[in-house]
Amino acid sequence: MDAKDILGLPKNSFPVIQEKKPRPPRDSQRRPDGVHREVYALTGGMAPLMPTIEVSHLKRKPTVDKEKISWQWLPFTSSARTDNLQLYHWVRVVNRVPPTGDYSFAKYNKSVEVLKYTDEEYEKHLADPMWTKEETDQLFDLCERFDLRFVVIADRFPTSRSVEELKNRYYSVTRALIVARAPSPADVSGHPLVKEPFNLAHEIERKRALSSVLSQTKQQERREAEILAEAKRIMESRMASKSSEEVELPVTSIDNGGSEKAAAPGESISPSANNNPSSSNVAPPAAAIDTTSTPASLRMLRVYLRTHALEQMVQAVSSTAGMRTIKRVDQTLQDLGVHVKPKVPTKSVCAEHLELRKEILTLLNLQKQLQNKEAEVSANRETSFTEAPGTPKRSYRGDVDRPFIPDSVGFGGERVGKRDHKRKAPGRTMDAPPSPPQSKRPRKLKTSD
Amino acid sequence: MYGGDEVSAIVLDLGSYSCKAGYAGEDAPKAVFPSVVGSIDQTGANDEIKPERDSESMSDSKTGVKALDSDKTKPKRKLYVGTQALDYRRDHMEVISPLKDGVVVDWDIVDNIWNYAFRQRLLIDPKEHPILLAEPSTNSPLQREKAAELLFENYKVPALFLAKNAVLTSFASGRATSLVVDSGGGSTVVAAVHDGYVLQKAVATSPIGGEFLTDCMMKSLESKGIVLKPRYSFKKKEISPGEYQIVDLDFPNTTESYKLYSTRAIAGDIKESVCRVPDTPFEEAAYANVPMTPYELPDGQTIEIGADRFKVPDVLFNPSLSQTIPGMESIADSTSLRGLPQMVIESINKCDVDIRRELFSSILLAGGTSSMQQLKERLEKDLMEEAPQAARVKVLASGNSTERRFSVWIGGSILASLGSFQQMWFSKAEYEEHGVSYIQRKCP
Repeated sequence: MDAKDILGLPKNSFPVIQEKKPRPPRDSQRRPDGVHREVYALTGGMAPLMPTIEVSHLKRKPTVDKEKISWQWLPFTSSARTDNLQLYHWVRVVNRVPPTGDYSFAKYNKSVEVLKYTDEEYEKHLADPMWTKEETDQLFDLCERFDLRFVVIADRFPTSRSVEELKNRYYSVTRALIVARAPSPADVSGHPLVKEPFNLAHEIERKRALSSVLSQTKQQERREAEILAEAKRIMESRMASKSSEEVELPVTSIDNGGSEKAAAPGESISPSANNNPSSSNVAPPAAAIDTTSTPASLRMLRVYLRTHALEQMVQAVSSTAGMRTIKRVDQTLQDLGVHVKPKVPTKSVCAEHLELRKEILTLLNLQKQLQNKEAEVSANRETSFTEAPGTPKRSYRGDVDRPFIPDSVGFGGERVGKRDHKRKAPGRTMDAPPSPPQSKRPRKLKTSD
Repeated sequence: MYGGDEVSAIVLDLGSYSCKAGYAGEDAPKAVFPSVVGSIDQTGANDEIKPERDSESMSDSKTGVKALDSDKTKPKRKLYVGTQALDYRRDHMEVISPLKDGVVVDWDIVDNIWNYAFRQRLLIDPKEHPILLAEPSTNSPLQREKAAELLFENYKVPALFLAKNAVLTSFASGRATSLVVDSGGGSTVVAAVHDGYVLQKAVATSPIGGEFLTDCMMKSLESKGIVLKPRYSFKKKEISPGEYQIVDLDFPNTTESYKLYSTRAIAGDIKESVCRVPDTPFEEAAYANVPMTPYELPDGQTIEIGADRFKVPDVLFNPSLSQTIPGMESIADSTSLRGLPQMVIESINKCDVDIRRELFSSILLAGGTSSMQQLKERLEKDLMEEAPQAARVKVLASGNSTERRFSVWIGGSILASLGSFQQMWFSKAEYEEHGVSYIQRKCP
């Protein structure tokens, strides 16, 4: 019963109570778990128990087997010390028995193992023109005292030697000693010092570079930052121009099929060189270049959905077209029985779809242009009959109107796309646009936007 | 795992302005008192003493080897140590400091100070406690040996360790590698600590410390005609309830040094309460119209302090400013002194290239003068301008000003109560076996 658990009393102290109320067996199954007990209590089960405290429990002390713990100020010695200094500290004494064993912190006394050489070894293997024996001895003494902290050793070294020189001397001496003392060369070839000797020249070079980095003045740093930004910009523009060249080639090589559902998976060159069709969609990069549009920006993505790519390309192509034209393109597609979004977006299907869209756009544009021209021509005919004396004015107006033409020509040219070689420009400039349709043209220009 | 083990060591830090002493393992020293002493020459009492004994005791006082017979009385002079003793004005009492330029010149005074600290303030018997002594980062081997000798012979300590101030400050902030800027009373020391050892070739010192700034403040106020009356020189008499009148007392036998000491106390308080480090280098014209702050002197006079609030602390950054204060031009070669940022850069550049970056990003401020307001921000700003871009400059200072004042002591407290430090004590047995010069090996 949980009340007993809370009080910490032994469990078998209430046999009397249990005999008084004979319980059906199922009680013992249902009793312990809290939920079940409550449920059972709802149905009018056993009454809650008040555990009686028996006198025998009170007399007995709650715990007998506890140890007697006291704290004493006792001396101690540490094996990490060479003398036998006795310091005092507080010790937890259990049952009047002070703890034995070494000082608990003595195990932290670790030091680096520095090899010691004898004089003959020095003469045989370790002599060096740049280093005297005393210096080498001093070096090794300091190495041992300071546990190979070379920065500190260099600081305390009596003659001024750089850290790299000291390191070099230490490592070469130790290496020579290891090699000389080994019974055979094969034994020690695994030793890290033997495998990779200390490269003094490299260290010096590295330190020189580091110090030059750290000692740059603000001017130099600013200039470097500028140069780096400039280089980055050049890189990006170079990449953009490269990708635009690649886009033109595959676009011209794709057939004018217009088939919606291509069964064969395409192996044509896709506009973006490095794509990896998987299901993770990456956010479009910040640097979106408008001219070569999608392929270049997609090239920066590593991974993207093909439909996403297709959308981007469609958007790019029709970005110059305007909402109404886009709707008309979609309408035309539907009239033709083509899905606005291809059902099976494989490489070739998407490419064909894109082509189709472009052609429809071109078609629509051409139709519009044709309409414009016809309207102009008819208006021209009317005005030329009515305004005969106004010819000089007309020609004057022609001069004024001429600036309009390049805009519309260029406009149409863009819309048509790079593939379209039917240039209306030469034809158009020969026309002398009359005045009344002028009012129409701005409107048309506006809607095309 | 708790790495501490208390052996009831005592940590003692004798600075140029104040002496701190207390038990290791605590977070603040129990005894803090000025490290100057008052001394009255007792030439009268010396007449009965034989001349040889006199000269002998003179040489004794220089070396300090022979034990003192009694606590404080010596044939030569009577020394008064501690705040209470010093604040009471006595005739012919001179105020002298045992240190000159950070180096101990009078070991007798040091002896007295230690004695006072142990027996009067901490009430301990030095025979039972290992002592951790904090020493200046530029301490010479001779000084260390003298200190060790004094402690072992006179006080018979069981074990001793000498630790450098910069290392202790570094440990107080939990770092093994840092650049410590310790601007205390007598001087400012910039030292690089790497892996728990001071790089001695990279230590930069400057005599500009708290006391120098106090002097600047004092001279500046005096030049403006404000008289700082020391506390002993007047008395407040109550004429009517709430109203007081100042009565000047005259003590012709007060020494100059005592007067200076008392005046400095007042100027020091002014400096601590109103001074702020300016955000940009100080210019006379810019601060000519700054609003004045009032300050009430002990004698009731209220003074207004304006540009001096910013000028005096800026001396730390631009020592040549002190030339402009009338009365301070006498400070020799102050043009060769470097400001704080220059000292930091100089110190770091003398270190090995590999650790420079780490030093830049852990610059610690310590010492009484470093608790001046805005010092940390100004130093960080100045350093960021001068330091290379590749290094990230970070100046750290504990927010609590008592921690900054006692950071050396606190570091000592931490060190002496570490379990793994207990093997590093220089014990009496080792002293007797190897001699005092063994301390150079034991306490690197």
